[in-house]
Amino acid sequence: MGKGDEKNKTAKGKKIENSDRACSDEYDDKTDKTNFKWDPLRNIADDPDEALNIVDSRLTNLEKEYFKSQKDIDENFNNVFSASSISRREFIQWTALLTSALMLPTIFAPRVARAANILTRTPFIWLDMSDCMGNTEAFLRTAHPTPAEIILNYVSVDYMESIMVPAGYQAEARRDETVKKYKGKYILVVEGAIPTGMNGKFLTIGAKGKTGLEITKATAKNAGVIIAVGNCASYGGIPAAYPNPTGSVGLSSVTNRQVINIPACPANPVNLVGTLVEYILIGKAPMLDSLGRPLWAYSGRLHDNCYRRGHFEAGEYVKQWGDDGAKKQYCLYMMGCKGPFTWNNCTVAQYNQDMSFPMRAGHGCIGCSEPAFWDRMTPFEKPNLDAKIFIPGVEATADEFGVALFGAAGVGMAAHAIYTGVKRRKNNKEKEKNNGKDNDNNKDKK
Amino acid sequence: MGNINSSGNDSDLKVVHRMTVIKRIIHWTLFLSIINQIITGMYIAYPFLIFGKTPTQADSPVSGVLNSGETYQAFIMTWMREFHFIGAVLIDVSFFAWLYLAFFSTKEPLYKSFLPFGNKINEMYKMIKHYFTLKNKPETGKYQDPLNAIIFTFFHLLLLLQMATGFQMYVASFTGTSAVGAWWPAMLHICTDWTLWVFGGLTGVTLTHLFITWLIIIFIFYHIYIEVWRSIVWKEGDILIPFGGYKYSRDNLKEDDTD
Ligand code: HEM
Ligand code: HEM
Ligand code: SF4
Ligand code: SF4
Repeated sequence: MGKGDEKNKTAKGKKIENSDRACSDEYDDKTDKTNFKWDPLRNIADDPDEALNIVDSRLTNLEKEYFKSQKDIDENFNNVFSASSISRREFIQWTALLTSALMLPTIFAPRVARAANILTRTPFIWLDMSDCMGNTEAFLRTAHPTPAEIILNYVSVDYMESIMVPAGYQAEARRDETVKKYKGKYILVVEGAIPTGMNGKFLTIGAKGKTGLEITKATAKNAGVIIAVGNCASYGGIPAAYPNPTGSVGLSSVTNRQVINIPACPANPVNLVGTLVEYILIGKAPMLDSLGRPLWAYSGRLHDNCYRRGHFEAGEYVKQWGDDGAKKQYCLYMMGCKGPFTWNNCTVAQYNQDMSFPMRAGHGCIGCSEPAFWDRMTPFEKPNLDAKIFIPGVEATADEFGVALFGAAGVGMAAHAIYTGVKRRKNNKEKEKNNGKDNDNNKDKK
Repeated sequence: MGNINSSGNDSDLKVVHRMTVIKRIIHWTLFLSIINQIITGMYIAYPFLIFGKTPTQADSPVSGVLNSGETYQAFIMTWMREFHFIGAVLIDVSFFAWLYLAFFSTKEPLYKSFLPFGNKINEMYKMIKHYFTLKNKPETGKYQDPLNAIIFTFFHLLLLLQMATGFQMYVASFTGTSAVGAWWPAMLHICTDWTLWVFGGLTGVTLTHLFITWLIIIFIFYHIYIEVWRSIVWKEGDILIPFGGYKYSRDNLKEDDTD
């Protein structure tokens, strides 16, 4: 770790090439400046200049903190990308893409580049809880990584079980040291659900056998920003699927600090890096929706941004895997596509080196960025109407149960009708019998 | 069998006013729009007509009976959803008109019969008993009988749930603003977001919407059955209420006719 304390001095007074306005070199406390309005979805701030100033002074301060000199900054850029054979040009293209994905105006593009650079030096802890490491794998193992993935590979990870060099006691010492040394500054990313059953004993990690619950709580307390990556960390995901024997929950349920959720299975690297970059820019969480997801990535419903939507509207559906409709890329609604129930940006910031997403590949969405998707979005390959309804003691779809009730009601009404007919006939007969007689009995009954 | 002319003079057969013009308009608007909602809703849930079908798809019996050719010529789902939303607007307006009239109608406010206080509960049980014994018909009063009133109220609660779940699905495609301004989706979110928590996400909301559809279908059949039953058994012309606004009362003729 080259993050000494003396860097502040060396970088003092340096003019940073990318900033287009002069900004103060005074080191101001970041925590003071996070209380400004930041709303990229509408109009960024009441006073855009002020927002820009805040961002610039933040970036300058961070560069002073994490880099030795301007040369160090430039070299870091080059090292990161030449190591992965990405040209500067490709990187600039990518920053432009990320800037627009974050819904920021182009004036922010150079700042996004600076933030991405700073990101590679920011202390970083990546915890794995109950999970399949799918997010880690997806970020680390791409054949042709995009800048987003490169940045994730290059961040100065202080603790990440799958890639760190130290092991055993050393590894844990490293984690504790980072927590202490970079209190309030380090980025904490958690992957996987946290089992809370049996006081967390369903998951113990490391040489000391601490529970995942303890570790997350302790690391979350002093983190600068807390990010839950993947559905499991965000909402419990598959470990928390019914009947959830381990009592697994999402990260936000075990800490009372704000958690930014980046759900999906696996999460899109662009969404993680974008959120981290935005955090570097503004020092706080971006705007979140009611489920804790960054609005810039999760404000659109897949169904509304799907290129097969035209076929949905036209009543053209795939009815069987591999049928003619499938070949013509008809809508997958009847093959169980959960796009109408799912908010994510897969159709825009695509997966696999920005190349594809489920509907393009011919399979419906399974709703992996929504809470409890394993319970609520199943069966994955059948339309929602084939899902079982959640009424205790009833194991049926809404239609089956509805038809059964309707049948029961019909039988009831028919029985009542027959009863009425028979009874009336009997009454009439009695009346005929009684006709002429003094009929006091009937009257008394009233 | 009693018969009007043979059992006393005409003035004994009282005419009872039951539905004002506005209520009748509401009734038939609801009728038409709910039938429309059921047909279009079922199509949205399971698109049984497939346009632009392909040869393989035509092999199955449920596949398209209509083939309109090119994609751009067929917008059947668009039309189904469009009509579903038009029906939804009619239902909303009717619902709130009904709600207003239930309390502030000068002629026949519903609350007089449905608020379950005092002898209302008792009268309700009397009516149920009458359904199963055909004896002791409760008197035809000035207002709706409490049993009907309570069932109609329950039905309107179903409509309210249908509106809440429906608008939750509707607001799903908004991203914070709309053609008429940001207040519209914001208002819908405030009014209907609770359904997400109660019914378990948007899929649960959709299933609830679908299930309530079945409850409404059951109500319709029960409702028509019981009104026809009353017309036959009571011979007071109950079925005429939503057409002419009146029914008859035979309570004065009771001595002769005790069906
Ligand atoms: C979708 C179908 C229908 C619905 C949802 C429906 C709903 C209702 C409601 C809510 C009322 C109470 C009105 C109020 O309190 O102001 C009512 C009354 C009535 N409806 Fe319907 N109705 C439907 C169809 C029909 C049909 C087809 C008939 C028969 C021709 C019918 C006959 C009546 C009668 C006779 C009443 C008056 C009952 C009374 O006041 O005692 N309805 N209906
Ligand atoms: C008696 C009234 C209604 C009935 C019987 C009804 C029935 C249905 C049914 C069966 C569905 C299909 C559900 C599925 O996909 O499984 C549906 C969908 C829907 N309904 Fe209703 N509905 C009614 C009222 C409303 C109202 C008042 C609204 C308010 C806007 C509404 C909005 C919707 C929406 C937005 C959808 C989803 C459409 C889509 O996915 O594109 N409905 N309705
Ligand atoms: S494939 Fe899925 S997301 Fe795309 S239009 Fe059809 S239902 Fe919607
Ligand atoms: S399309 Fe749906 S299932 Fe696939 S990654 Fe996106 S949100 Fe998850």
